[in-house]
Amino acid sequence: MVSSPTSRLLTRVIIYGFLFVLAVVFLYPVVLMVLTAFKPTPEIFRSPFGLPESWSLDTFATVWQRAKFGLYLRNSLLITGGSALLLLVTAAPAAYALARYTFKLKPVLFLFFLAGIMIPIRLGILPLYLLMRDLGLLDTPFSLIFTYAASGLPMSVFLLSVFFRNLPRELEDAARIDGCNELQIFYRIMLPLVRPGLATVVIVNVVPWWNDFFFPLLFIQSDTWKTIPLGMQIFFGQHLVNWSLVFSGMVLASLPLLIIYLIMSRQFIAGLTAGAVKG
Amino acid sequence: MIRITRHLTVLAAFALLGGTLAQTQLDFWSWRTEDVAAYETFIAAFEAENPDISVTFTPYLNTEYNTIVSTALQGGGGPDIVHLRAYGGMEPLANAGLIVRLDDEVEALAGFDPGILLGATNRADGGVYGVPFALQTVKVLYNQDMFERLGLEEPSTWAEFLALGDALKASGVYALANGASDPWTVETLFGGVAPTFYGCDAFFYDITGGSTDFTDPRFAAALERMVELQPYMADNFMGVGYTDMQTLFAFEQAGMLVGGSYELGNMAQLNPELRVGSFTVPGDTADAEKCTTFYVDGSYGINANSANQDAALRFIEFLASQEFGQMFTDELQQISAVPGTQPTSPALARMVEQMTDHGTPYLMLTAFRFGQPSGSTLLQNEMQAVLGGDSTIERAVANIQRGVAEWFDFE
Amino acid sequence: MRDAPAGIPSQRRPLARWWSRHWHLFVFLTPAVVVYGMFMAYPLLSSLSYSVYEWDGFLRRGFTGLSNFVTVLTRWPYNERFWGALTHNTWFFVLTFAIQTTLGLFVAVLLAKKWRGFAFFQAAYFLPYTLSLVVVGFLWLMLLNPTWGMIAQGLRGLGLGEWVQPWLGQRATALTTVILVNAWGWLGFPMLVYLAAVQAIPQEFHEAAFVDGATPWQDFRFVTFPLLLPSIAMVTILTFIWNFNAFELVFVMQGASGSPNYATDLLATFFYRTAFGDPTTGGEPGQIGIASAIGVMMLLIIGFVSAFGVRFMQRSQTEY
Repeated sequence: MVSSPTSRLLTRVIIYGFLFVLAVVFLYPVVLMVLTAFKPTPEIFRSPFGLPESWSLDTFATVWQRAKFGLYLRNSLLITGGSALLLLVTAAPAAYALARYTFKLKPVLFLFFLAGIMIPIRLGILPLYLLMRDLGLLDTPFSLIFTYAASGLPMSVFLLSVFFRNLPRELEDAARIDGCNELQIFYRIMLPLVRPGLATVVIVNVVPWWNDFFFPLLFIQSDTWKTIPLGMQIFFGQHLVNWSLVFSGMVLASLPLLIIYLIMSRQFIAGLTAGAVKG
Repeated sequence: MIRITRHLTVLAAFALLGGTLAQTQLDFWSWRTEDVAAYETFIAAFEAENPDISVTFTPYLNTEYNTIVSTALQGGGGPDIVHLRAYGGMEPLANAGLIVRLDDEVEALAGFDPGILLGATNRADGGVYGVPFALQTVKVLYNQDMFERLGLEEPSTWAEFLALGDALKASGVYALANGASDPWTVETLFGGVAPTFYGCDAFFYDITGGSTDFTDPRFAAALERMVELQPYMADNFMGVGYTDMQTLFAFEQAGMLVGGSYELGNMAQLNPELRVGSFTVPGDTADAEKCTTFYVDGSYGINANSANQDAALRFIEFLASQEFGQMFTDELQQISAVPGTQPTSPALARMVEQMTDHGTPYLMLTAFRFGQPSGSTLLQNEMQAVLGGDSTIERAVANIQRGVAEWFDFE
Repeated sequence: MRDAPAGIPSQRRPLARWWSRHWHLFVFLTPAVVVYGMFMAYPLLSSLSYSVYEWDGFLRRGFTGLSNFVTVLTRWPYNERFWGALTHNTWFFVLTFAIQTTLGLFVAVLLAKKWRGFAFFQAAYFLPYTLSLVVVGFLWLMLLNPTWGMIAQGLRGLGLGEWVQPWLGQRATALTTVILVNAWGWLGFPMLVYLAAVQAIPQEFHEAAFVDGATPWQDFRFVTFPLLLPSIAMVTILTFIWNFNAFELVFVMQGASGSPNYATDLLATFFYRTAFGDPTTGGEPGQIGIASAIGVMMLLIIGFVSAFGVRFMQRSQTEY
């Protein structure tokens, strides 16, 4: 590695320049979206790139009311939260059992879950739809919660079983000597130790659930349980003539995840990559 | 005074029932997202007369409405009152027994024009399953102020029509606001331009009777005229969607728009200042036959699974009444299907007059949406490709014929 | 034994004994097996059977063997739509793969240097991934609008008005534009995974290479790249699965029929139109049997390719 200081400096400049241009490509549309959201429609057409003439929040308020944004926000929170809860409650014990016990059916179960990792649940949408209909779950949040939890299960079981497998055997033995039964060992000793794993599982799944549009489109019909992406898609379609409303709606729809991402981008990124690399 | 007595009656009813009078809740689904305010007015009028019923109007996105309704109805759910599409859009629901047959239930239907009832009739049993609500007609809409400013007049020949386009372009605006990004707007363009050139009703009855098919030269000649309009459309018209079309016309960046009568209401909302005129696309000579498309937009029906059949029927009867028809026309600036209603706005009255003088049924919608692939799907996509320069009229005609022949018997 | 009631010789009650040793497994496994089995395994498996029946709306009629498949593969216009959509999905995948394994990988290797400010770049590239595809779709729909969109306005402002095109409205550019929009929202993810994988390579490996006189390219080619292969394989499989399922962006930007004239039609939009379509807006509604046949073919394509990919990934797995 022989290179002169000037050429090294030049390399640095080129690298920074390249990364900066790329950052503009990724960030500028989002910045433009936020700036445009403050402009009334005529101003958007007149000065598409300037700063807004006033920073009024009026259009946001209009969207909030007219698009029933508060309702959709509540629904998205409930559905994503409910799915995460159901996923953890089902995936953690299953992962634990698969990681730390040996039993005859284990390879079969392993395969059973493995099969689901690579096949997206969307391909079963027709039977799933009829199942939800027959169970009376259409147009209720449970149709989405069950679907999301089920689709997140295979990957989560595998991720968590990696975490459980890495825990030392001695912990278990010590607890057994102390008179804990198997459930207590799991619940009191082992589960708290895989908290980072649980967090990873939640982060990996929550982003696609929160943004999902496909299942709400098919399962949710009335306004009562529409999620943000579905509600916004319909709102955008209705008000496409009014760019100001659409841009404000886009900003509102993106805000929850954007805020979480800006506050804890490190954990976010760590969780997502851990999910991908370990899986 | 009437109000007060009515209130007293209600109070009396309350007293009789010991205060347990329950309100029947009716759900009403629609695709008319633009008309929420108007429907709230209609419903308020109905509720004032029927205090024991309350109706909730929920509109869904136009493009997703059919899916939402048919899946909900098939799932045994859905609203009590269903806004139904017309013709082939309604028939599957009637055939599956998901909506209630109305011709024996709603007396007022007997007074409707039989041609209009066709839009809500199930061909299998001849039953009427909905109360038609609006007629639409496709015209060339134009900006009257702009025409006056430029000294332009309604054309009486195709050549004059094209000359109008040149004059508008020369003045610095687009001649036609039409685009081809949304496939269905291509069919609207067809509905406005083609009938005059395929020979109006004569061709319509020939082809629906099966004595000719889409390879008939009259059909290709009519499609040819759509392509002739291409130079008059907006720049990059392949990327101009429906809302762009509305905006271009409403904000006077285009002088004309081939569009439906429903645009009058839309324009009034977007730009109340705009004065809209309309004319029928003329033929090659001033005395050549010219005509314009009309169709039934849809109807109101009752969900067969609704638990509130009686209340639903009362609401449907209201929707078939002349009181409602007039309110509908006044509020929405659309042509009510209820007999005896009078359009109040001059622009709409003009359209009704033109429609009565030389209306012809909307070809694909009224006759070729009963099987798959539907004539509309084929026409929209094939002509979109032709306008985009990716296909030819010959190919479009061949594909339309081939597709429709999959399910329609040409003799 | 601990849980067996005292006094009863366990040999005489093998079932009870077995139960006492295994009950906790049931407690641990039943919830997951029920939820996953009922809402994922069952629908996926029964979608196979749906495709061999004739359907009338959502009512199942008689067994028809493979005739739904024959319809999709041979009868016009289904066959044209199917092969068209398959080609579009393939192009979707190929282009996305090309971008993420060149640009994405390159940026990941650069970011691994962890110079000042690189955390910012990393966060910036990943940000669009947090947006819903509905927002991504509408945002770019407006940016790319040839009449009022920011891109058209910007070009006109620069005197390049001639360059403005209906990117999403013309056959030649529509699909590629949608794929690039998708890449904008997606690229942050593969970048991050590659970055994590590059950072996981022990520093000594690079040092050893440089001691042997390797150039940075050789270091990448013979040290970094081989060790990244499992990650690349994994991301590629995920990309393949997602691209062969892609739906939202086309639905939002181009409509359910993949305007213009099916130029952006994908297998998933074709499936959606056929199963849940709408005649008013260009769909072919309620053909559950045919839709299921399309779905089963998607399942087979995805299943085979990802199984093959996983095999490849396992073989390329290097221990270090």
